[in-house]
Amino acid sequence: MKIIIDRQACVGHARCQAVAPELYPLDDNGYIDTDGFTVPEGEEASARRGARACPEKIIRTVNDPSGKDWPPKA
Amino acid sequence: MSTVQKVARPDHVPPGLVVDFDFYRDARYEPGDPHAGIAKLVAKAPPVFWTPQNGGHWVLAGHPELFEAVRTPEVFSSEKQGLPPTSYEPKQVPINSDPPEHEIYRLPLSKAFSPKAMLALQDDIRQLAVELIEKVRPEGRCDFATEIAEPLPVSIFMKLMGLPLEMLGEYRVWVNELLASGVPEVRGEALRKIGVGMSSIIKARTDQRRDDLISRLLDTEIDGRAVTFEEMQSYCLLLFIAGLDTVMNGMCFGIRHLAKDQALQAKLRADPALIPEAMEELLRRYTFTMPGRIVARDHEAFGVQFKKNERVLLMLPAADLDPREFENPLVFDLDRENKVHIAFNSGPHRCVGSHLARLELKILYEEMLSRIPTFSLDPERLAQTHGGHVIGFDSLGLVWDRS
Repeated sequence: MKIIIDRQACVGHARCQAVAPELYPLDDNGYIDTDGFTVPEGEEASARRGARACPEKIIRTVNDPSGKDWPPKA
Repeated sequence: MSTVQKVARPDHVPPGLVVDFDFYRDARYEPGDPHAGIAKLVAKAPPVFWTPQNGGHWVLAGHPELFEAVRTPEVFSSEKQGLPPTSYEPKQVPINSDPPEHEIYRLPLSKAFSPKAMLALQDDIRQLAVELIEKVRPEGRCDFATEIAEPLPVSIFMKLMGLPLEMLGEYRVWVNELLASGVPEVRGEALRKIGVGMSSIIKARTDQRRDDLISRLLDTEIDGRAVTFEEMQSYCLLLFIAGLDTVMNGMCFGIRHLAKDQALQAKLRADPALIPEAMEELLRRYTFTMPGRIVARDHEAFGVQFKKNERVLLMLPAADLDPREFENPLVFDLDRENKVHIAFNSGPHRCVGSHLARLELKILYEEMLSRIPTFSLDPERLAQTHGGHVIGFDSLGLVWDRS
């Protein structure tokens, strides 16, 4: 499972880190500090929660083992 | 009754999109529970409608429509936000900025209000919360709005900014006039008075720095050069207004809900780790700010013709109760699958104070729940609320067993 983030669209809500602090690093100003990552095994639920927590919907999951990636296709 | 005349429907606004809604004092707002009225409005009105009130303006009440509008600043500009339009509305950066200028002015504030920077305040926040709560605890009753919700965030904010605490009462009056009056002359005069107050403090800190935010902002660089006096005035006016009324009302809406839901109180007392989740669902359920925008150019969207210079109200509370986005939106559901709200708005103008707000709310709920026994609404003092750009409480009576 991968996480892909549209980093330049981050406006610093910091919700991703609030719900999944081990996975979503922020810079000193509170903006996401990565373009994405491969989800460590066992952390899929955390990664998913973090993605769903973004009000801007800029965090995508790819190959979520649950079968449903986020965000859902319109 | 509004003192501003109702405006006639412009030709390009279809009659079917007209809804008479006065966001300051609409009859739909139920006293003590404005969201009940907002929900009724959401159920009946189209997601984008036009109101003849407050100078005549569009309202974006639907979640997807609002979501798109806030990331289209070239059409929905932040240059003017206050409704009804007033002749005196000084430009405040960055709230009245659009890209690319927006980011330049926003950056020093993002730094100053970052999650990390705000955590440094948590002991001060907790100490003040405990002080205020312990003062009322033996009484078995309080007006939560005036005795706890008002002084707590305001004092923290004034401390952070380096504003003189003796001015607390006066500042609150000015903010109320600005945000809840709806009368253009009163609002304009309040803006002017606040501006004068801020200018004198900026001058004082220019002469002598202290360990506060105004001093730090004075030493900030904007785009590689020193900040100007006008820019400082702008920052201070904005931060003054933004910090005083908002968290107070967030707290009141949350506590009022808890006062009516004692099972939820019990659940959170038993497991305080649930408080952050509860806080988010409370923010969604009772989103309480409604910023404005001005149309920068003619534009067609959402089946509507927007004309240049028209005003738009971003009705965030309606968006967070939109059944297209949230199933059973009026239900407070701690386990709701989608709790993602836009109470702090969305897009580039996301509330820069959101990290401070969340920290204060969390600490307030923690201390209220751990120090005050099961509380309920005071039947002898009904909650009083008001509408406007910030929907809020004038009073919120609580009672509990003081034994």
